[in-house]
Amino acid sequence: MAEKVKGAAEVVRSIPDGSHIALGGFAIARNVITVAHELIRQQKKSLTLSQCVMGLDTDLLAGAGLVSRLIVGGGSLDRFGPVHCVNRARETRTIEAHDMSSLSVCFRYLAGALGISFIPIKSLIASEVLERLEQGPGAADLRRMTCPFTGEEYVLLKALTPDVSLVHVQVADREGNCQIEGPRWENEEQAKAARRIIVITEELVPTEYIQRNPERTVIPAHRVEAVIHQPFGAHPTSVFRCYDYDAEHLTLYVDHAKRPDRIKEYLETYVLGTKDHWEYLEKVGGIRRLNELRADRILGY
Amino acid sequence: MPPFRTSPKGCASKAGARMERRNDMDAVSPAEIMAAAGARELRDGETIVVGLGLPQVAVVLAKRTHAPGLTSILEIGVANMNPIDTPVGLADSRIFYRGTCWSGFLDTLGMSLHRGVVDVGFLGALEVDCYGNINTTLLKEDGRVRYFNGSAGGNDVASLAKRVIIIMRHEKRKFPLAVTHLTSPGFVGGKSRETLGLRGGGPSRVITDKAILGFDPGTHAAALLSVHPGVKIEEVVENTGFPLKVAGQIPVTPLPTAEELRLLREEIDPRRVYLR
Repeated sequence: MAEKVKGAAEVVRSIPDGSHIALGGFAIARNVITVAHELIRQQKKSLTLSQCVMGLDTDLLAGAGLVSRLIVGGGSLDRFGPVHCVNRARETRTIEAHDMSSLSVCFRYLAGALGISFIPIKSLIASEVLERLEQGPGAADLRRMTCPFTGEEYVLLKALTPDVSLVHVQVADREGNCQIEGPRWENEEQAKAARRIIVITEELVPTEYIQRNPERTVIPAHRVEAVIHQPFGAHPTSVFRCYDYDAEHLTLYVDHAKRPDRIKEYLETYVLGTKDHWEYLEKVGGIRRLNELRADRILGY
Repeated sequence: MPPFRTSPKGCASKAGARMERRNDMDAVSPAEIMAAAGARELRDGETIVVGLGLPQVAVVLAKRTHAPGLTSILEIGVANMNPIDTPVGLADSRIFYRGTCWSGFLDTLGMSLHRGVVDVGFLGALEVDCYGNINTTLLKEDGRVRYFNGSAGGNDVASLAKRVIIIMRHEKRKFPLAVTHLTSPGFVGGKSRETLGLRGGGPSRVITDKAILGFDPGTHAAALLSVHPGVKIEEVVENTGFPLKVAGQIPVTPLPTAEELRLLREEIDPRRVYLR
């Protein structure tokens, strides 16, 4: 079998401009920072991003101007602030935003993962969220219909099948068997809806470790195309039982993200000014800082 | 967005919290009244889907007082949060620790909420109008549009929970006649939920820092239920952007008990992330 373990730069070179990329982060947890940074270094263009709840990964890509379309439920950086770059792009209409709800996006991934072309939902009805989708380019992705069995009103959502799904996990083996600790939000449906699954793992483990608790395997190897091994790969977001979010760096980020000139400065310093994630980790404080963020073995943060 | 106070991790923050403990139990803050009032709306044994912010605080308070058998669900995929350190939101590992089930949206918003087994949706809001419609998406200021967090699970919860409790600050601009953007439906246009095609029962309470509002069963319009201690009815009416129904004797919202205050200040939010 071909080697699946690859570097982030090599993997990102295989993602064409204009791709639909699904991101596995949620607000400030398990964001795919390693790959988001590399997409920025390689200056990919006209990306469509999808995600139930946006976080730092989406905001970085929007701030770098790589994104032309968003299919999302919502998003923020929790108490650190809103997704400033995404919101600015909406305000200046430089992004075509398909704003839905968390469950709508999750259901669309589920349909994609099951290989069915649409799915009915009882959300969105009687809201401006639905009206705006129907009045914009999102109209092609939904219909209203009455259930032929019960007569109940539904919104039908078109399945989402991203070109690439990126998911950051605690543990994977060289074949791509992934185990996720803590909640998994839409990781499973999102990954399995995609044509290509790329996994970023904190730790690369022997298959024998996976075989000890195979019930924990959320994404099995046969669906996974590539495995990127990158410790602290989600920094400054958290990875449960590995490390906490970096409150200082998130505050610094939000400070920069508030203004267009300042976000440029952030990207030049921490992304374009570093050749890879290892150099980035050195720049944000190196092993001393990262060690401070390491999770307590009982608490998991 | 208010400034976030960074804090040391784990045990250090707990020690810091004890040092910060306020001795003055008499000066009850509006946020504390809101949290306690929110907690009291929840009944033991109910299943609650919890939104970002003060709802998180109110639900933990209810669970640690009168409703130990309450089930809380967070959309991210956590059941029965029981944190020992204050989380900064829904995606904070502090809220994962000690949960009794870890899953994801498909389980929480799908097989619980969409399935129809969630009693209460507990949400925050940027704006709420007289029919309990919620805006969490955008505001218009000086002709300029400002975007916020959007729906996330908000629209799903407002559409599908058996009843919805909203918790927010009481300012005139936050209670317009009609919301700037209808993110999550209440009784849209004064219509019944059935007519609207919605499964959930719709809004039941709006808890603010001045009062508690309910909804008239006939007209579905907001009505004043109680005012917080020291707040005049006129003050509530003046700070509400839509005509607020005031009928009969309006009672005073009970203050949080000493035990509720102790839990809020010492255990649930000692760093005052939410209880400013």
